[in-house]
Amino acid sequence: MRILTPIVLVFFLLSFCACNDFARREEIPIESFFMKSPKSNFQISPSGNYIAFLQSYNGTQNLYLTTWDNAEPKRITTETDKNIANYFWADDDELVFWKERSKDDNLSIYAVNRTSLSVRNLITPEPMRFRWVSQQVNNDELLISLNKRDSSVFDVYRLNLHNCHLKIVARNPGNISNWVADPDGKVRLAIASDGVNETLLYREDEEHAFRRVFENNFKTTVKPLRFLEGRTNHIYALSNIDRDKLALVIIDLDKGEEIKTVYMHPESDIEDIRFSSVAKGLAYAEYDTWKPEKYYFNKRIKDVHEDLRRRLNGYWMRVVDKNEAETRFIIRTYADDDPGAVYLYSINDDRLTKLADVNPALNGRKLCKMDSIRYNARDGMPISGYLTLPNRLRKQGLPLIVIPHNGPSARNVWEYNSEVQFLANRGYAVFQPNYRGSTGYGKAFWSAGFGEWGGKIQEDIADGVRYLIDKKIADPKRIGIYGYSFGGFCALYGACFHQDLYKCAASYSGITNLFTYLKEIPPYYKPYLQMYYEIIGNPEKQADYFRAVSPVFHTDKIKGPIFIAQGGKDERGNVNETNQMVRDLKGKNINITYFLKEKEGHFFKDEQARLAFYQQLEAFFAANLGGN
Amino acid sequence: MPHHNHYRKNYWLIIIFAVLASLLFITALGFAKKYARKIVENEFVGKKIDVLDKNIESYNDLFFNKIPEVSFYQGYLDSNSALIYADSILRKYDFVKRILFFDAYVSNTAGGLAISPRVVYQFNRDCPKSHIIYKAGSGTKMDIRIADDFNSMAARLSGFIDIADTSRSVNNDEINKFFYAVIPEKITYMNIPRKEDIKAYKQFVEGSVDNNSVYEQDILSYYIDPQALKLQNNHPELYEKIEIKPLFYTSLDTDPDLLTAESPLPGALASYKIYFSANRNFLTNEANRRFMPLALMISMGYLVLFIIGYLIYRNISFNNKMFKLQYDFVNNLTHEFKTPVSVIKIAGNNIRSAKELKDDTRQLYGKILDEEADKLNNLLNTLLSFTQIENKSIKLAYEKVNLDEFCRKLISTYQLKFPDFDLQYELKEVSTLYTDPVLLGSVFQNLIDNAYKYSEEGSKSLKITIFRQKKQIMFKFVDKGIGIPKSELINIFKKFYRVKSQYNQQGSVGLGLAFCKELLNFMEGDIQVKSTVGKGSTFIVTLPYAH
Repeated sequence: MRILTPIVLVFFLLSFCACNDFARREEIPIESFFMKSPKSNFQISPSGNYIAFLQSYNGTQNLYLTTWDNAEPKRITTETDKNIANYFWADDDELVFWKERSKDDNLSIYAVNRTSLSVRNLITPEPMRFRWVSQQVNNDELLISLNKRDSSVFDVYRLNLHNCHLKIVARNPGNISNWVADPDGKVRLAIASDGVNETLLYREDEEHAFRRVFENNFKTTVKPLRFLEGRTNHIYALSNIDRDKLALVIIDLDKGEEIKTVYMHPESDIEDIRFSSVAKGLAYAEYDTWKPEKYYFNKRIKDVHEDLRRRLNGYWMRVVDKNEAETRFIIRTYADDDPGAVYLYSINDDRLTKLADVNPALNGRKLCKMDSIRYNARDGMPISGYLTLPNRLRKQGLPLIVIPHNGPSARNVWEYNSEVQFLANRGYAVFQPNYRGSTGYGKAFWSAGFGEWGGKIQEDIADGVRYLIDKKIADPKRIGIYGYSFGGFCALYGACFHQDLYKCAASYSGITNLFTYLKEIPPYYKPYLQMYYEIIGNPEKQADYFRAVSPVFHTDKIKGPIFIAQGGKDERGNVNETNQMVRDLKGKNINITYFLKEKEGHFFKDEQARLAFYQQLEAFFAANLGGN
Repeated sequence: MPHHNHYRKNYWLIIIFAVLASLLFITALGFAKKYARKIVENEFVGKKIDVLDKNIESYNDLFFNKIPEVSFYQGYLDSNSALIYADSILRKYDFVKRILFFDAYVSNTAGGLAISPRVVYQFNRDCPKSHIIYKAGSGTKMDIRIADDFNSMAARLSGFIDIADTSRSVNNDEINKFFYAVIPEKITYMNIPRKEDIKAYKQFVEGSVDNNSVYEQDILSYYIDPQALKLQNNHPELYEKIEIKPLFYTSLDTDPDLLTAESPLPGALASYKIYFSANRNFLTNEANRRFMPLALMISMGYLVLFIIGYLIYRNISFNNKMFKLQYDFVNNLTHEFKTPVSVIKIAGNNIRSAKELKDDTRQLYGKILDEEADKLNNLLNTLLSFTQIENKSIKLAYEKVNLDEFCRKLISTYQLKFPDFDLQYELKEVSTLYTDPVLLGSVFQNLIDNAYKYSEEGSKSLKITIFRQKKQIMFKFVDKGIGIPKSELINIFKKFYRVKSQYNQQGSVGLGLAFCKELLNFMEGDIQVKSTVGKGSTFIVTLPYAH
């Protein structure tokens, strides 16, 4: 008997382990997933001899410089308060950069010299916003649009890099939402919008006035890409006029019509095109099916890319930057289960060298594969999504976390996603539905989401969860929903109206009230208001619907544990309303975790705040879904 | 006797202890009673806050949760959604009589900012529809009382715009100051405009921009009837009656036994108060009810104290008894040793003082010395083996014993020693036993010795019967001796215990039966006794039957 007891004990222990999990699962620290890459945003100088990148110096992102031959990197800026948000090479000696700032800060744009390291401010600081119309330097000038004159409209200016003169190029009558420049830096295209209808405007040169090319409803998209080489009146554009999917077309601006369909994919919108200045033609088009894909127009580029992908173990690769001569490239690779690395590639000597790992902390760690799934919503609409299963022997009865994407005009794609990998590493299956209203699947699918924020979109998410329950992948008792912004709205909506499905819900800057959401649209978005009314609904005419689907009115329906993360300076949501909601729930003794960061906005920019958020999120799901 | 002194001392101590303890007990009960009464009196005053909190819960819910919901609509409230909203309020809160809804707009005029009502709706408790009681441009004039609601709110809005800081969100202090107007029986609330709206309003006031947008503001007036507040007595043990009374109400009841308390209602209910009353008897009953568990607890405490006291007393008296037994034992032992020693001493003296020693005299002394030495030896052996057995330091030497032969030998020795002893034995269906003959012999000797010792002259007899019972073997020793009183039966197997009688005055240590019991325990057996005073005793020895 005495010998038997330990044997039986050991046996039970072993079988317990076997049931639980036999595959070795290592818990990767949170920091490894969410720390910023030590080096990021690599860009090559026009000559190809210098490579700039961003790296933290005393906790602040600064510009660093190395050479093509990988010389010891040196820091060329000394910013101590605000991170450098982004930059580009103006020419081989000067880089233009700007810093992160909050809404009311003054705008400053700087230039730094590569050798003298002198930094100068290119514009007079003012509390305004900007967009680059062209980052290409023509006659020492850049094209920038600023809401300097009127905070609700953006005019185009020429910014002289030498004397910092700001010269207005085109005055916005109030309805122009976008400007496009030709390769010579002339502003010759504009898109006017009254919120519902868009008008493409064109002029032969800057001396003439813009004239109307054609008009289209916001439900169809015409996205001008670039002027054709040598033809002043032809442009490449992505268009879905008279078709469902965005296709690459050529538009004759004089005739005001589409003259050629260059490429279209039967299932997906074309996302972008790449152009080769050296070959003077299209290089390839990029689009996403269940995974990213490219269609090549240039045989030589195709061969080079295919060879590179073989050498990169089949990892997906994107060309991040290239020199003017198109002989030297910066390449970024990644896979669903690997954040990837940055490489330098020289086409002349066919040399591929690794520059940096995107996330060295995850090197050699076993992450999870992302699978595509398809299911039919209750009305028969086919919905795609992604399912990431944890590395476990048992692939059934798993705790599930649904992450509806933000947007809803966006989509999930096949890529490395640190949030998904973090949760999968903690033992949860992660489901990312591309509910109707998501982009990339054509305009019919996108517009099917109009007016359905609190309707069919939510049903699509719930139907996906039910599909995973039917497939026995998800344990019906352990399902949570988590999302950011609109995704947070979905999570709160789930907590209010689908308590049968979700054990708990976590909202990160989630929209709590559609009335407020519409009311808070910033003034420079005002032209889009009519469009928002169509996409979301009109609060004046549909107040009842707004009330019926806004979580803030339905706190009495929330039963289960809930996690709410909110930034105190969130300009989209309203802290007072979230506070009111939290107070209300607390008063009802609902298990609520409130993560309020006074200094953060809609998105938590501070790394420590983000880490703290994910720690709380992990604890919340561990307590309520019993992961790990 | 020294014992007597001891007992007398303890006796007084016990009496003093009992008296003091009882005094304390009674005092404690008295205090407890007083305490319970005090608590009830305090609670009568203190718990009214509790009752107040409970009863204004729904009012607070309306004030802090449902009314700010108006702001969630961001000014988009229209007659339809206002009806749904008002209906939900009227249905949930009985004390809201009616709701007025001012659909107002803010615009830029030549004189700066203008706020004016477009339509005023009224929602009544008993009517599921909204009444339009004012419409701009319809020619009707607005009722002065209603206009008053609107004007007070408009004044607040302009006050707010004056101080508003658009670089941060509106804080709670400002919300309370500018967006709520609370007077008795009425709450007026206006939705809090968004940051961008406030900016625009500020510009209107300054007259700095050319903005002809119209901004919507929703103002709602809630008419409250405090008397309709449903009271709930969550402390029925303290308050016999709770009522809502006007703020200045005082009872004219002059009954000195009627206790009252009151707490004014807050906010829009402020013209009324909650009035609490209870009869003194009612509170006394409550005090008694609270006293009961206290009294029980104190009694329990004292009971435990007494039990512990008794246990200490019992242990002390037991130890006393033990001390006495040991004292007796030493006495007896000394005596036991003294007899042989003095005999030896006399014999020695006699031999020394005799001029010549005759042959038969020498033999006599020799025999005496020999016998007395044997006695001493036996005495020491018994003491020694008893200690050994108690310490479990001897080993059993089992062997096959022919019972008939064993008994015969023993009995013949005794018959030689005590010719007047009628000693018989009988075996029933047993002949051999596997046991330690020496130890068994000791048991036999002790029991036979006792039977002889404690029998009257002439009736000294013992009958030994050996028989089997299931897996055991029984040895029954029946004598016709003096017997043992019932009260002593439980003691006779105790160490150093002797039944006091004339028979053991010549000395016995009081170890015999205790020794037998120890031995038999050691041999996994047992010994029992039955006895009748004057008729004789029966000892039954049980041993496991092994052969």
